[in-house]
Amino acid sequence: MHSKKRWICLIVAMFAFCVAPAGVSAADKLIKIGGLYPMTGRAGLYGKDSVAAAEIAINEINAKGGAAGYKIDATFNDSKVKAAYAIRVAKRYISEDKVNFLFGVVSSGVGLAVTEVSKQEKKIFIGTDHASTRLTVDNFQPYYFRVSNNTFQSMASGALYLQELKKTKPWKTIAFIGPDYSYGHSQFDEIKYSLERLGVEFKVVGEYWPKIYAPDYTSYITSILNDKPDVLVSGFWGGDTVAFIKQAQAFGLFNKMTYFHPDAGGNYELMSAMGDELPLGLILGARHYNNWPNTEQNKNFVKNFKALTGRYPTYAAEGAYAGIYAIAAAVEKVGNPDDTEALIKALEGLKIKLPEDPDGFTSYINPETHQMIQTQAIGVTVANKDFPPATRMLGNWKVYKAEDLVPPSDYIKMKRKK
Amino acid sequence: MKTESRFRETSLWATIMIIFGLVPVFMTSTYQMNLASHILIWILFATAFNMLWGLTGMLSFGQALYYGLGAYFVGLMVKYLGSAWFFPGMAIGLVASAIIALLIGLLLIRVGGVYFTMLTLAFAQLMYQIMFKWYNFTGGDDGVVGIMQPGIFSNPIVYYYFILGIVIASIWILKRIAYSPFGMVLRCVNQNPDRVRFLGRRVRRNQLRIYIVSSVFVALAGGLMVGVDNSIHTDMFVWTTSGEVILMTVLGGINQFFGPFVGAIALILIEDIVGAYTEYWSLIIGTIVLIMVLLFPKGLVGEFLQLKHRFLKLKKHGG
Repeated sequence: MHSKKRWICLIVAMFAFCVAPAGVSAADKLIKIGGLYPMTGRAGLYGKDSVAAAEIAINEINAKGGAAGYKIDATFNDSKVKAAYAIRVAKRYISEDKVNFLFGVVSSGVGLAVTEVSKQEKKIFIGTDHASTRLTVDNFQPYYFRVSNNTFQSMASGALYLQELKKTKPWKTIAFIGPDYSYGHSQFDEIKYSLERLGVEFKVVGEYWPKIYAPDYTSYITSILNDKPDVLVSGFWGGDTVAFIKQAQAFGLFNKMTYFHPDAGGNYELMSAMGDELPLGLILGARHYNNWPNTEQNKNFVKNFKALTGRYPTYAAEGAYAGIYAIAAAVEKVGNPDDTEALIKALEGLKIKLPEDPDGFTSYINPETHQMIQTQAIGVTVANKDFPPATRMLGNWKVYKAEDLVPPSDYIKMKRKK
Repeated sequence: MKTESRFRETSLWATIMIIFGLVPVFMTSTYQMNLASHILIWILFATAFNMLWGLTGMLSFGQALYYGLGAYFVGLMVKYLGSAWFFPGMAIGLVASAIIALLIGLLLIRVGGVYFTMLTLAFAQLMYQIMFKWYNFTGGDDGVVGIMQPGIFSNPIVYYYFILGIVIASIWILKRIAYSPFGMVLRCVNQNPDRVRFLGRRVRRNQLRIYIVSSVFVALAGGLMVGVDNSIHTDMFVWTTSGEVILMTVLGGINQFFGPFVGAIALILIEDIVGAYTEYWSLIIGTIVLIMVLLFPKGLVGEFLQLKHRFLKLKKHGG
C-alpha cells in the first residue's frame, strides 16, 4: 500500500515536470526568433559575439517599443557545428517554440542543412554569418535571406584587388588553401571565375584542402613552399586562420609570397590573437571592420559592443546585429511577424543602413538571390594600437562598389540549373 | 511458469508498441514525433551494437561505419537516381554493408580486445576520410540535403509508423538471436572462448557472424535516419557517433538486452532537454555518465532489475 502511494506521487511529479514548461503564458505580442550558433570550440567566439550583438540590437529595438508593437524575443542554442543536431534544433524551434524566424549559423555546412528545414517548413531563415554562395545561388530557396557578404562578393572584390596589384607588384601564379567544405570550395571557384571574368592572366600552381579545424598545417605549408606561388589565396576562417598564420610564419612563408585572404582573413579575432606576432603587409578582408568605415554608426556599434562584453567585436557580431534589424524592419513594414509570404515581400529589396556602410551607401537585399548587397573594403596589416590587445589593424584601404561585386545573372542561372 | 513469462514478454512488447504508437496521436507538435523517430533509430543502432559488445564481448569503436554506409547508400542513390531509389537504396545498402562487414570482419576477428577496438576505429575513420575527401561525389563535409522519400512515405506520420514497425521487428529478431542457441554460444565466447573450442564450436566463425548481423542492423538504422533528417552528413561516420552508442549502452546497462534500449531513450532525452537550456550540455551528460559508471555500473536497466530482485526477496522474507 505504502509503495503504491509512492508510485503515484512519483508519476504525478513526473507528469508535472513534463507539463510545467507549457504553462508559461505569452502575454506580450512577440516576434520569436530561434537562433543557432556554435558556442564552443574554434568557432565559439563567432557564436558568442553574434549572440551579444543580437542582444544589443534587440535591446535597442525593444527599448523603442519594438517593431509594429511587437517585442523581439530570441532564444539561442548551440549548433555544435553539427548539421544533424542543428536540423533537430531548427525543427524544435519551429514546431515546439513556434518561432517566426530561424536565425544565425556560422558554418556554411550547417547553413545548407538549416536552409533545407526552412524550405520544408516554410519558415524564414535569416543567415547572419555563413558565406558560401551556394545558399543564395545553387541551393536558393525563397525562405532564405542572408544579411552579410557572401564569398562571391569577397572574391569579386579580391579579383579586382589582384588586378590592381599586378601594376605595383607583378605576379603570375596563385595557389589556394582553404577548408575542405562548401565554404572553401566556393571561394576557390569564385576567385578563378572573377579573375577570368576580368581577363586577368593567372596560373594555378597548387590547391590544398585541409579539414576544417585541422590542428596542424605543416605538410600543406611545405607543399606551398615547394610550389612557389606568387600569391597565396587563403580561404580559412576563425581559429584556423590564426593557427595557419602562426605555423606558416615559422617557415618564413610570408617573406616568399603575397598572402591574400579577402573573405575572412581581416577578422579582428586574428589581430587580437596574434598581437605583435602578426606580420605586416598581409592583404586581408572581412565582412565588418572595427576601424572602417569611420562613421558614427560604426563607432557606436563598436563602443556599445565593447561596453557590453569588455572586448572588441569580431565580424560575426555585425552580421547578427544586421539580421535583427532586418527582421524588425520587415515586421514594421508588414505589421505582424506571422504573415510569412508578406514578410518575404518586405525583405526583398529591403534597404537598411548598417554599421559597415560607408557614408553615401545603404545596404539592400537583392530580390533575385535574397543576398544583402554591400560595399567591400580590403586592407593591409599595419601597426595600430587603438583596439587592444591588437597591435596591428588593417589600413591602406581599397574600397569596392557594391554593384561591381554581384554575380551576373547568367552565372546564377548556370549554377541554379545544375 | 512458462505461460506467465510469455505473457510478460507479450505485454512488454505491447507496451512499447502502444507508447511509441501513440506519439503521433497525442503529440502537441511534430517535433515530438521527430524526437521519437530519433529515439527509435538510435535504439536500433545501440541494440545492434550491443549484440557485439554486451553479448559477445567485442567492443567495436567503429559501428558508425555501417551507420554511415546505410545512410549514404540511400542518400546518394536518391541524389543521383531520384527518390524512387530510396527503398532500393536502403536494401542495396544492407547487402553492401553485409559484404563489407564480411571482408573487414575477416581481418578484424584475427585480433581481440583492444586491438579489435582500435582496428574497428581505424576502418571507420578510413571510410570517413574517403567520404569527406570525395567532395564531388559525396558532397564532402556538406553532405547531401533535401533527400525525400517517394510517395506516401514523404508524409512524416506514415514514415514514423514505418520506422516503428521496422525497429520493433528488428529488435524482436535481435532478441530472438540473443536467446537462441547461437546467442548462447556468443555468451560463451564472451565468457570463456577456450571452453567454446573444447566444446567443438568455432570462436571466430561465430564472432564473424555476429559482426555481420550487427553491422547490417546498424546500416538499417542509418538508412532509416535519412528519411527523418532528409539529409546525410559525414558526421555519421565519425568516431563520436560510435562513441555516442557506447555511452547509450553504458547508461542503459551493458549486460541487459534492453539496456541500450533504455540508454538510447535516456541519452537523447537528456541531450534534448539539457541542450535546450544551456550550452554546457556536454558537461552535464559527462557528469551523468561518470556517476553511472562509478556508482551504478550495471546501468539503468541492470540496477533496476537488481532493485526489483531485492525488493521481491524482502517481500518473500517478510511475508
